[in-house]
Amino acid sequence: MKRSARIAIVAMFAAMLFGIAGTAGAQTLLGAGASFPAPVYTKMFDAYNKATGVKVNYQAIGSSGGLKNIQDKVVDFGGSDSFVKDSDMGKYSAPIVHVPTVLGAVVIVYNLPGNPPLRLTGEVIANIYLGKITKWNDKAIADLNPGIKLPAMDIVQVYRSDGSGTTFNFTAYLSAVSPEWKQVVGNANSVQWPVGQGAAQNAGVAGMVRQIPGAIGYVELAYARQNNMPVATIRNAAGNWIEPNLSSISAAAAGAFPADTRILLMNTDAREGYPISALTWLIVYREQSYGNRTREQAKALVDLLWWMIHDGQAYAEPLDYAKLPAPAVKAAEAIIKSITWKGEPLLK
Amino acid sequence: MNRSIAAAAGETVFRDTYQPRSLRNSMFKVMVTMPAVLILALMVFIVVQVLFNGARALNLEFLIAEQRPFGEPGGGVVQAIVGTLMLIVIATLLSFPLALLGALFLHLESGRRSARILEGAINMLQGIPSIVVGVVVYRWIVVPMKSFSALAGGAALAIIMLPLLVGMMREALRLVPASYMEAALALGAPRWRAVAGIIVPAARSGIIEALGLGIARAAGETAPLMFTAFGNPFLSVSLRGPVAALPLVIYEYIKSPYDDWHQKAWGAAFLLMVFVLSLNLVISARKNHIR
Repeated sequence: MKRSARIAIVAMFAAMLFGIAGTAGAQTLLGAGASFPAPVYTKMFDAYNKATGVKVNYQAIGSSGGLKNIQDKVVDFGGSDSFVKDSDMGKYSAPIVHVPTVLGAVVIVYNLPGNPPLRLTGEVIANIYLGKITKWNDKAIADLNPGIKLPAMDIVQVYRSDGSGTTFNFTAYLSAVSPEWKQVVGNANSVQWPVGQGAAQNAGVAGMVRQIPGAIGYVELAYARQNNMPVATIRNAAGNWIEPNLSSISAAAAGAFPADTRILLMNTDAREGYPISALTWLIVYREQSYGNRTREQAKALVDLLWWMIHDGQAYAEPLDYAKLPAPAVKAAEAIIKSITWKGEPLLK
Repeated sequence: MNRSIAAAAGETVFRDTYQPRSLRNSMFKVMVTMPAVLILALMVFIVVQVLFNGARALNLEFLIAEQRPFGEPGGGVVQAIVGTLMLIVIATLLSFPLALLGALFLHLESGRRSARILEGAINMLQGIPSIVVGVVVYRWIVVPMKSFSALAGGAALAIIMLPLLVGMMREALRLVPASYMEAALALGAPRWRAVAGIIVPAARSGIIEALGLGIARAAGETAPLMFTAFGNPFLSVSLRGPVAALPLVIYEYIKSPYDDWHQKAWGAAFLLMVFVLSLNLVISARKNHIR
């Protein structure tokens, strides 16, 4: 017993030492942040591992967490679906760049008996989250949904407890359509919610809405689809009722792209565009020679980024994310080429 | 005559008070037995619930495969099994020597001012919320090393284990009769030899028991690992890179919307519980064997 225990311990140390030597060969990359694109990222990274052997560890801790980690330089890239505002650039010790990856939609999910299809306007959603509409059979909701029998249930508003780009895009939309929301709550990665219950990450909100009858929540479309949750149809700025799907998300992004790709896609005037569409980005330092990073690490990172905006795009649509539109890919290519190692571009 | 009246009266008094007293006695017995049964039932219910739900998740793939992408069924938790074992080994290597020396210090210097200060410090360390330990280790190790790592996770768990180990090892040392030390010194052994050769071996079973309980406690910790070991969908055995752990997997999976992941969270809970329970069993078996 004693001897076998000793052998086991020795074997374990040998395995660990071997592991240290072993992993020096296998390239690994670490990223953290937005949970909005986590389903497509984990799918892309699984495929990337099979294709290249590079292991990309992405932890969906929320956009704010990802930005904090890149500020602390403890990850290779941060994921965020709210871009870094000019006024926040000072938190980064060196210039950063935004590499857009996919487009998604913040969709309204709910849990009602029979899960009837629902139509909602931005204003009604704002009033629900302001606590002014508290019952599912409220006149404001019933008027938008003639012919649908709504239960007299209490509405349970579910929101993100962690700092989140999904929250940023959702509250940006509510601020745009409801002056009261803009004044009372406002727009940020985390806000003071007047009513409701918090859950962590997109997965947490989807999980909580599934478990509470009468709940309403906002998540990325993929989470709703993967779990067969009903999704509300929303009236866009042009006055059309729009269901969130690939074409309505792409339609919202049909306009011009700025060179740094930092653009909000919510409430665009596209006629067929879904009103709460959003881009999501990976945030990296422009100069990759920092800390104890090696050139191999930096090269592996830009190779991954390049793959994601080209070959990786094939994994977007099966999971209900929209591919980057051509102008965004062009802008992203220029951004990736601007990433350097000791001043020299890593990609020619 | 008088006497017999008094005796009769005494008997009446006795008879009058016996029944209520006996009733109170049995009521009290029920009062203390009920919670005991309740606690036992609670334990049994938790174990049965975890075993029942967890067993359904168990299959070969669950034990030997890595995590699948979000929402894709299948895959396993091998990365978390290996990660948890690594974290425990690191935490034990870091905390055990320190804890043993600390416990010896407290034992040998007991009653002195320095020992009281150390004791206070250890009590305070025990009171620090585990999430705070995680944040502190993030600042101390993760940020300077520029990476989340198994090392950081192990260090965080070591801080959680340390006060537990010191407390329990000190108790183990206390159980060694003072005459052992005196005998060793009387035979001319230097103090260090008396301690290393007599006291510590005599307290061995208690020390090992302490280590087992410390490991059982650390194995289930989630909060200190969230900003240190960080998690990893891939199997990794690098000390300097992030690793998965069973409690992290349970935490991530159970709050996800995916039924398959809920199932796997129960499976991971099953593994963790079987590990902790078997650790307890081995320790108590060993203890009985030695005694």
